[in-house]
Amino acid sequence: MGQDVFEITINIVKIILIFLMMIQMVPLLVWLERRGSAFMQNRLGPNRVGPLGLMQLLADAVKFIFKEDFVPQYATKFLYLAAPVVALIPAALAFAAIPLSTPIHIEAFTKWGQSWGPYTIPMQSVYMNVGIIYVLAVSSLGVYGLLLAGWSSGNKYSLLGALRASAQMVSYELALGLAIVGVLLVYGTFDLNKMVELQSGPLSFAFMGKEFVISWLPQWGIFYQPVGFILFTVVAFAESNRLPFDLPEAEGELVVGYHTEYGGFKLLLFFMGEYGHMMVSSALIATFYLGGYQIPGLTVADVTNFFTSQVGAGTLASILTALVFLISFSVKVAFFLWVFIWVRWTLPRFRYDTLMDLGWRTLLPWTIGNVIVTALILFIAGQS
Amino acid sequence: MLELFPLTFYAISAAMILSALGVILMASPIFSALCLAATMTLLAAMFFMLEAYFVAAIQLTVYAGAVVVLFVIVLMIFDLKKEKQSFSGNWAINIAKIGISVASFLILAVPLGYVLARANPGWLQDRAPVSKDLALSLFGKYLFTFEIVGALLLVVLIGSVTLAKSKGGTHAEHHE
Repeated sequence: MGQDVFEITINIVKIILIFLMMIQMVPLLVWLERRGSAFMQNRLGPNRVGPLGLMQLLADAVKFIFKEDFVPQYATKFLYLAAPVVALIPAALAFAAIPLSTPIHIEAFTKWGQSWGPYTIPMQSVYMNVGIIYVLAVSSLGVYGLLLAGWSSGNKYSLLGALRASAQMVSYELALGLAIVGVLLVYGTFDLNKMVELQSGPLSFAFMGKEFVISWLPQWGIFYQPVGFILFTVVAFAESNRLPFDLPEAEGELVVGYHTEYGGFKLLLFFMGEYGHMMVSSALIATFYLGGYQIPGLTVADVTNFFTSQVGAGTLASILTALVFLISFSVKVAFFLWVFIWVRWTLPRFRYDTLMDLGWRTLLPWTIGNVIVTALILFIAGQS
Repeated sequence: MLELFPLTFYAISAAMILSALGVILMASPIFSALCLAATMTLLAAMFFMLEAYFVAAIQLTVYAGAVVVLFVIVLMIFDLKKEKQSFSGNWAINIAKIGISVASFLILAVPLGYVLARANPGWLQDRAPVSKDLALSLFGKYLFTFEIVGALLLVVLIGSVTLAKSKGGTHAEHHE
């Protein structure tokens, strides 16, 4: 957490800010989803309340809070109330491990009759050396929220939705883990920060003792793991339970699946969990394959030097640098969030047997193949 | 200086003991399974506090994220009324459960405590094992043992599939 009161305070504020940032994205994504789907279907969507319909979000939030808090007669009350919270927590925890930007260096200073610092504040909630495995572990807990919701509602549609959701998530977790193994082989580390640092500069690699540099391409994971990128993206869609993989909700068959009996703020918590999973998936895709917060053609040192020449070396230059890279990361994440919405309103839903077929007979062999080919190429490249 | 470590340690330990007790004392099997999941998660939290991030994450993925999820799925499909009746309200059974738990705790804890008391305390103060050390010992020094355990698990898997496939299965009287 930190060495003294100042650092601990900064870290706590940072953790809360990152969590709030994630939560604040949810209404914006809902708006984007409704407007985006409307434009794809040749209509306008919510555009009456406020500029571009943006005030609709506030109206919806107020509506969610003031709805009647309702517990069905045959529900198991404790689990019924706990399930929405359990659905939100894993997404929030997983987002905590993702590096959002370069660390901020705070110079030593004197205040309140005491000297403080210097500090280095990493721009992620929690720094840990096994970022990937932590994210995988925490998001594997996400299935509890759906299971509890489905079972405790005392409704057979909910239970069927929950069973579908859990079977789907457990099946696709296998392919998810194996898709990540390819990434691990390429970078040789579990640390998300180191992964991002390795992706700076132009594309350059050594093959059988010779150095190759392609100066017009960035050093991004997608050029090392093109197949892995596609596989990971597909699995990420399945793990976040969205169309074309939203079998747990399939409104034509199951009303809305595991959250049939939920309303008001409890339903909103499920939405937050789902959008949180989308954000974590998008951030992971950006971190693994698109250079994280790196900007193509610019290194962290370039940007730091630019700001140092403008405002002088010190805390301010460091904060401005972090801001620039935070924007770069946000743009990448926003792009993938848009892809999530885009795909949802473009593709129809899978049938359940085709979904399982895709998971076990297509994605699993392809991910294993990807691991084998990656390992072979790395082995051959290491020979001289 | 803020001493957060002992505080969180005792809080997590207390919660872990409570949820472990819940596993054996809850009347409903679903709540028992959920208590087990909570115990596993808190155990992972304990590993996190000791900076053994890899072990913590594996603990979460394998136990809380996969094994207990399967327990919960299976329990949800069954009609639990019969199981609930056989578990609840019977003090003789509850006392027996506590007795068996204490006995198995002693069986585990006494040899472990004996080993820990004689061990060189230096290895506890060493840095927490990182994934590389684990991989090197698993796939180097203990490779044979590791593979044997893998084969054993495969046998268990095949055995359980055979049992489930055989006529009637293990829950034969429930299906009539």
